[in-house]
Amino acid sequence: MRNLKQKLPGFWFSLPSLVLTLIFSVYPIGWAMRYMFYDYKGYGTERFVGLDNFVRLLSDEAYWNSVVNTFVYAGGKLAITLPLSLILAVILNRGIRGKGFLRGVYFLPTIISASVMSVVFFTVFNSYNGVLNQLLVRYGIVERNVDWLGVDKAMLTVILIAAWGAIGNYMLLLIAGLQSIPDDIYESASLDGANAWQKFIYVTIPMLGPVLQMVIMLAIINSLKGYESIMVLTEGGPIGKTEVMFMYVYKLFFPISTSSNSMEQQLGYGSAVGFVTAIIVGVVTLFYFRLSKRLNQVH
Amino acid sequence: MKKSMAVSLGLVLSVGLTACSSNASNGSSTDQLSQSTGAGAQEKTKISYWTIDRHDSDYIKQVIDEFNATNTDNIEVEYVVKADDYAQALDLSFAANQAPDVFRVKEGTIQTYYKKGYMAPIDEYLTDAQKQEFMVMPNLNQFDGKMYSLPNYGSTMRLIYNKDLFDKAGIQNPPTSLAEMVEDAKLLTEAGKDIGAYGFALPFKSPNSAWDRSARVIAELSGYGGFGFDFKTAQYDFTGFKEIAKAFKQMYDDGSALPGMEALDIDPLRAQFAEGKIGMYMSYSSEPGVYKSQFPAKINWAAAPVPTIDGTVKGASGFLGGQWLAISANSDKKDAAWKFINYMYGDQILQDYHEQGYGISMVSQIIAKAKQPDINGIEGFLPNKDDGVWPIKPTVNVEGAGYQETFFKYMLQGGDLDKEVEDLNTRYNAAFAKAIETGDVEIEADPGFDPTKLGGAFAQ
Repeated sequence: MRNLKQKLPGFWFSLPSLVLTLIFSVYPIGWAMRYMFYDYKGYGTERFVGLDNFVRLLSDEAYWNSVVNTFVYAGGKLAITLPLSLILAVILNRGIRGKGFLRGVYFLPTIISASVMSVVFFTVFNSYNGVLNQLLVRYGIVERNVDWLGVDKAMLTVILIAAWGAIGNYMLLLIAGLQSIPDDIYESASLDGANAWQKFIYVTIPMLGPVLQMVIMLAIINSLKGYESIMVLTEGGPIGKTEVMFMYVYKLFFPISTSSNSMEQQLGYGSAVGFVTAIIVGVVTLFYFRLSKRLNQVH
Repeated sequence: MKKSMAVSLGLVLSVGLTACSSNASNGSSTDQLSQSTGAGAQEKTKISYWTIDRHDSDYIKQVIDEFNATNTDNIEVEYVVKADDYAQALDLSFAANQAPDVFRVKEGTIQTYYKKGYMAPIDEYLTDAQKQEFMVMPNLNQFDGKMYSLPNYGSTMRLIYNKDLFDKAGIQNPPTSLAEMVEDAKLLTEAGKDIGAYGFALPFKSPNSAWDRSARVIAELSGYGGFGFDFKTAQYDFTGFKEIAKAFKQMYDDGSALPGMEALDIDPLRAQFAEGKIGMYMSYSSEPGVYKSQFPAKINWAAAPVPTIDGTVKGASGFLGGQWLAISANSDKKDAAWKFINYMYGDQILQDYHEQGYGISMVSQIIAKAKQPDINGIEGFLPNKDDGVWPIKPTVNVEGAGYQETFFKYMLQGGDLDKEVEDLNTRYNAAFAKAIETGDVEIEADPGFDPTKLGGAFAQ
């Protein structure tokens, strides 16, 4: 009884988020899990089809193509974002002049809407009169306009834009991590004759371990889930070259119709694809957690 | 224990207080409202109207402002123009029960909106005069004997071309066959080199949008169903698109197409055309309105019938329309919504709409008294003997890539076109058979269907 009463405040405090989670996460998941065994277009009758949606998924080339694209996109975004945000965090954690201002500047892309950002970037990257091409041609770096949003380079472009939008966020988290490292450890290292690089490798990185583990995990999940800027910039094209998993799922739920040719929603199949996609993200995250256990051990 | 109780109590109290404060603020706003009501001002009935149409936005804003200022029922219409995400936004709004009270429906979407139950029937509101004036068009504004919308204007589809660039390239007339189109695109690109202009473009960011405003009408005028559906056999057959896909590919390979059109939306395309950077493209009769207000054109341009596959007309160029505004089935202000719709369908507004060139009227009473539209470029869009209304094709959920995406892929990367067409036919017909089997689609073969007979209903 006493134990129960001690736990009561905890229960009350967690109640609001529990209710919200039940309404906005558990209920929709339950809804989708039911419909993944149905053929349902959002109207009319829903037909039970058993595992048909999953059988269709196995041979859905476009989906598996989007899975590959997602890993390329996420891998590329992480490869650029993580080192750059760490470098920026280390630099802006030092006592340099104007660091507050610079932190603000680098963080700014995080608070700008992905859609607005993408519209602006379209004017930078579009092939026929984009700002980037004009600069490259004017200074003789390229001879003719580069098709930044074409078949070959669209993925690179969306990765660069996504990285630009994410660096500031992770930089800030890493700065918070850096500030939790006691100065006396650096002082001891200096007394032992360690140079700046050695201090970074043997003090900063290990001490940052738990924060780094969390930041990388967030970065992985966000990269696997992100599709907003792709939606605005390329809609997954050209010919599916920038189609990522969640965008594919979104299009099944909300297909891109034209005014003269309506496309129908595929809620049953979309639910099945969404479920498998969630499992893929979950497995990757779990796999990462296992691999990164060492990061969590601060000596 | 005391401590835990105190914390729990504190939390409950704080939640309670928050609720109270929110009630309090609601209460005060209600008070303010009732005070103002008491002072004589009647509460406004606010309704929302969503549309995808942007070409007429200046005019529609003006007539809605006038409605808001003059209607005696104290109705206020919020006018929302959505861009290319209109269909998704509408689906989301209905899913979230936040749908607009009035929304724009088009010939390709109204069937689905009907099946989804988005629209409320309007029969009870229609007067006898309105029943006389507005044509009943089954599957376009009437479903199962009930009316859901009324026609205003129809859209024709044309080739829009830059006259200045055609003159510069020494081309006398717009192309009438695919071969001429490919050749002209090459000449236009050559002539436009000094100003960075290209012969041809389409908004392939959305292959559906690009294909359905171009290849569709080329196929229709050449005698093929514009969405790959053969009404004679009631089967999908994409053979009619083969030559069109080849021509598009040829222009792309020749370098006659605007670089970057793979990521181009229709509005950026129009902006480039208005600047004189594009020789020709295909689109709907909303373009004159676009180049009047949205992107004022800096060039001389005109519209002409689209080319056919081999230069001869064997079908009819789709004249699209039959509907305009609909009331949301979920609206709790249907009467106010109808009053707004009733105002919008007033003769003067419809006549002005036609005369100012925002669309070509499909209402015979308006056509009879309206003057020729006074807007640059509209003359090329006016219905001719080859414009006609095609039957409605069935909507099916095909597995794998759609035909627009498939042909776009061929255009960019090549491949075995025959094999692609065969695969499309197989997949679409499988989806069609499934839709028939489940009762989602009902359509029968019409062996006597003759696309050449579709034209001529609107002009001789």
